[in-house]
Amino acid sequence: MTIQPYGAAAILINFEQKIQKEINAQVIELNKAILAAQLSGITYTIPTYCSLTIGYDRSAFSYETLCLLIENIKAAAFAKETNSSIPLEDKRLTIPVCYDEAFGLDIAAMAQEKDCTVEEIIQLHTSTEYRVYMLGFLPGFAYMGRLPEALACPRRQSPRVRIPAKSVGLAGYQTGIYPSDAPGGWQIIGQTPVPTFMPNQEDAFLFQAGDQVQFQAISKKDFLIISKDIHSNQFNWSSLYV
Amino acid sequence: MYNSSTLHFLKAGLWTTVQDQGRIGHQASGVPVSGAMDQGAAQLANWLVGNDKNNPVIEITLLGPSIQINQAVQIAITGANLSPKVDNVPIPMYETVAIEKGAILKFGRIQNGCRAYLAVGGQWFIQKWLASASAATTSTAKLTPDSLIKKDSLLTIQATPFIEKRSTPAPPDYESAIVVKVLSGPEFSHFSSQTIAHFFSQTYTIANDSNRMGYRLLGKELSFDSKQEVISSGIVLGTIQISNAGQPILLMRDAQTTGGYPRIAVVLPEELDRLAQLKPGEKIRFCFVG
Repeated sequence: MTIQPYGAAAILINFEQKIQKEINAQVIELNKAILAAQLSGITYTIPTYCSLTIGYDRSAFSYETLCLLIENIKAAAFAKETNSSIPLEDKRLTIPVCYDEAFGLDIAAMAQEKDCTVEEIIQLHTSTEYRVYMLGFLPGFAYMGRLPEALACPRRQSPRVRIPAKSVGLAGYQTGIYPSDAPGGWQIIGQTPVPTFMPNQEDAFLFQAGDQVQFQAISKKDFLIISKDIHSNQFNWSSLYV
Repeated sequence: MYNSSTLHFLKAGLWTTVQDQGRIGHQASGVPVSGAMDQGAAQLANWLVGNDKNNPVIEITLLGPSIQINQAVQIAITGANLSPKVDNVPIPMYETVAIEKGAILKFGRIQNGCRAYLAVGGQWFIQKWLASASAATTSTAKLTPDSLIKKDSLLTIQATPFIEKRSTPAPPDYESAIVVKVLSGPEFSHFSSQTIAHFFSQTYTIANDSNRMGYRLLGKELSFDSKQEVISSGIVLGTIQISNAGQPILLMRDAQTTGGYPRIAVVLPEELDRLAQLKPGEKIRFCFVG
């Protein structure tokens, strides 16, 4: 772990520069410990795959003081547990996805490209558990990985101007769900009826870095039923946490 | 109770938004900071009308709106000089101006700067998201429906009792070519000393498609090994990243919270207000201070 200044009002903590769940678990553990310390001079944190950015108020403490504080917080947080016992996950979620071609705009082309069937793509996508490594790109956009080798794919040559909210996409070795309508270049393979970004609720974001996610294929009919339940406030949200 | 909207936008202008101090502290969920690009000018405008410094203001870019003001209010305009007029009579900037009910505020020729700030004294009734009225960068219509100004947008402000007129000396005209102090960025060492020298010796031009997310800087491309991959990492305000094509992008208030391009430098926070007043076509050079 290295600490360096990042501009005049932030620091960057770099962990080993690899996309690996054990490394990401350390990032999240340190982020939690820093937030729990409730230092009023820390204005924001940005945990990512293998780095943690921390913004601070320069009138509250100097760079050197902040580094000392972070070292202390880290020592206390990581002393309690050996590296291997750092909890790897926070929540486990099962997210229903309809892979029908009405939603999965690129799934047929992808099957053709990969010389397999659409069913095989669905089978691959739903049989793996993914980790939410970080949020970024859009409010509530969770970067999840890692895709099985056979599903890895490049971004689209020309990004779409508008991808509908709740679309499920693939890019590189990552998968993710568009939290809102947005332009984007991910290959779209389906859509979940479950909103992942609910701006009017206290807890606006369904995902947090550290969550564990598995997708479950549903029919178009089930998609409509769940959509209806969500709109009429009948949806049983705890059904996602099984 | 007020049933008439205080401000009625007859014309929207080029890019007119409501802004305040922005949303700090939600970057971990992917929420950009947003907020007035020139925070100093926005806070000063609020002071001139007796508002809290973090009250919302209207950020006006290059081409101003036309606003019918349906209530007697005090206003103040700071930042770029876009030749403000009330009922076709020029009004001063950097001081409290009393406006009569029914007057029309318009803007004309751009004299200097890029972004003007309009403060209106009183309590703003406006939908906020995450404690900020700043126009959200995604789902704007849903999250901050009042904050992206369109033709016939309405804003309701309950005027507070008038304050005694305040004024400050107008700052000198904004320059069209500036030197900006920067610190080394996290991937500074990814670049050869030749490329770094190249970065600091050239004068960059702000590209036309620059906006609140970022300024694309035009110049001779920097050569570097783009295969040395950077894993997506946090972005702070004022980060300068180098695209695979070798062009710098200076990230501003509406930028995404994470990025995967190498970060060569970060501008000092005190330089951001001046940067906000640069227009496309204007020039910038970087000066290394640490």
